[in-house]
Amino acid sequence: MKKILFVSVIAFMLLVSGFWTKNIYAQDTQSGTTAMSEMLLAYYYPQTDAKSEISMRIVNRQGQVRQRRLTMLRLNQTPGGDQLYYIYFHEPADIKGMSFLVLKHIGRDDDRWLYLPAIDLVKRIATSDKRTSFAGSDFTYEDVSGRALDDDGYDLLGEENLGPYSCLVVKSTPKRPGEAEFSYRKFWIDKTTRLPLKVEHYDLKGKIYKVYETQEIQTIQGVPTITKALMKDLENERYTEINMKEVSYNAGITSDIFQERLLRRPPRQWIGE
Amino acid sequence: MLGKVCSFILIVFILVISISGVLSAEPAVHGFIEGAYGPKFSGDKLTRKNDHNLLEQRLQLKAAYRPRKPAWLASWNPEFFYKGDLLSDEYKETLRYQIREGYGLVSPLSWMDVKLGRQIFTWGTGDYLFINDVFPKDYESFFIGRDDEYLKAPSDAGKFSIYNQLVSMDVVVIPSFTPDVSIRGDRVSFYDNFLGRIAGKEANRIFTEPAVQPKNTEIATRLYRNLGEYETAIYAFKGFFNQPVGIKNESAKEVFYPKLAVFGASIRGPAPSLGGIASGEIGYSDSLQDRSGKNRLIENSGMKYLLGYERDFPKDLRIGIQYFAEQMLNFDEFKAHSQPGDIPRDEFRQLLTFRITKFFWLQILEASLFTFYSPTDSDAYLRPRLAWQANDRWKLTVGANILFGKHDWTEFGQLEGNDNFYTRIRYSF
Repeated sequence: MKKILFVSVIAFMLLVSGFWTKNIYAQDTQSGTTAMSEMLLAYYYPQTDAKSEISMRIVNRQGQVRQRRLTMLRLNQTPGGDQLYYIYFHEPADIKGMSFLVLKHIGRDDDRWLYLPAIDLVKRIATSDKRTSFAGSDFTYEDVSGRALDDDGYDLLGEENLGPYSCLVVKSTPKRPGEAEFSYRKFWIDKTTRLPLKVEHYDLKGKIYKVYETQEIQTIQGVPTITKALMKDLENERYTEINMKEVSYNAGITSDIFQERLLRRPPRQWIGE
Repeated sequence: MLGKVCSFILIVFILVISISGVLSAEPAVHGFIEGAYGPKFSGDKLTRKNDHNLLEQRLQLKAAYRPRKPAWLASWNPEFFYKGDLLSDEYKETLRYQIREGYGLVSPLSWMDVKLGRQIFTWGTGDYLFINDVFPKDYESFFIGRDDEYLKAPSDAGKFSIYNQLVSMDVVVIPSFTPDVSIRGDRVSFYDNFLGRIAGKEANRIFTEPAVQPKNTEIATRLYRNLGEYETAIYAFKGFFNQPVGIKNESAKEVFYPKLAVFGASIRGPAPSLGGIASGEIGYSDSLQDRSGKNRLIENSGMKYLLGYERDFPKDLRIGIQYFAEQMLNFDEFKAHSQPGDIPRDEFRQLLTFRITKFFWLQILEASLFTFYSPTDSDAYLRPRLAWQANDRWKLTVGANILFGKHDWTEFGQLEGNDNFYTRIRYSF
């Protein structure tokens, strides 16, 4: 009898603790997903539209520098949903005048076009793989336009201070293993602005190989905006520094301009020159 | 001597450019200088020079000007663009200056663009294959290893574009006919049907172009719109064949560019469930001066079909395949009227292409191979290429043009003796 009672108590405790830990885990997953979704909104979706001039310095192991300068226009279709991107390259000289049109979709491949002015060619680009380098930099297409929330699972690991910033630490793991070159990433998300301050990428062996760091945040038209960031490739000892200038929100970009015409006739009112 | 003079001119240009670059942080003039050398594999010994078919230095300058005055013009968002090449061609031993582009572009209405002047046109869905893109090509440049840019030759034309949510339209008006840069034997040997064999510099065909007259104005139009993620277009063209596919006088070896109309359509978009981009294009070539197909001296009408598929894979790998078929219409008439010595043809000519591109070192090195293979003509053309972007200014490209063919008269088979290996070094500014 005593034995039965003992076994039942143990069984009950196991059951309860099982529920309890599962519940905690669920909460952590829930808050991790919430934190990540807020980060995506703060980072990739602020305001309805945005215009910025982006400079990139790509520095290799030998210290050789490559530079890119481009204008990017962005328009949200729905908050956290589809977006339209237009990218015009100013530098380097050999790709000057080239432009990209990207219709970013949630749940299916993006539509992407590239315009080559020298041969007046509008080329449709296959976009199954978003993990390729963006313009030869250490940033990928996904880093530039955002990775879909549904592609990863999230765990809130806890809170940590990064300098003066109080951050949530979230681990994000791809749902389909082998789809990305990382096995998981760790995000430090500023609790006030919801912007990512640091992202560590871990390879399939669990070794850290790439680190993103926010270096400067400015408040532009009331919107906290990352204006300087760094992506370091630890394995190849190289990095890309990205600088955002002339950022303006709600510039009046409308969806009807995101057509073939935009590629063939760049919108001078926004890209200048 | 000429080479030295040209080199001197180029050096002076470079100095001027670099000084102007130092003076103003961002020079308004951009471009490149390039040296190219393409030695031939053994090959035939028929052309003007036999050890190489490409040796040249090139300076390209381009500049844009967007006036802000007067107010009425500024409201049209005007743009003037110039791009010109100074080419010291040591193969031809000439110094040549060519305006590649020189046009004015305005938007008189918010939904209209007008572009007047020398310009380059491209439309359609093919990769190195053209059905509804009826604009001039420079195949000589293509086969000797110049940059892809030079496959397209400019036209002096007006382009009128109308944009609308429902359907957009381009109308291109070309008052003065510009043919393809044909292969004439001087630099690239080819099958000369008058001689009945592969010919080089001794080929002396006479090319007669249509006179510049209002009635010879070429008109090309495209109506296009997106249906969901699919781009659709229909095309119509009236003008002339860009290749001299008409014989005016056999004994005088005189060829001409017969009248042509082309009607076609295309679609391009994501391949359902496969991922990647699929495309299809079709065109009907109406040979206006030989609609019955009874005249053996003029190319028959034909249908052209193209299916394409391209997709990307992880680690910067891309693969593209195309199936192209060309159907000669009135083939019975062609057969009935053929004479001994005429180039034998099939009713259907089929062509497969395969492109593989892979980038290395964060897109610093690009390796690619483009292959044409025709099972009906039993010929093939390989274009391997390595392009190394040493830094933001210097680019080194090496590649080869390798042609095979069972017969002397097929599209690629006739060029078999022109295989080359080329190197280009380019400095962009």
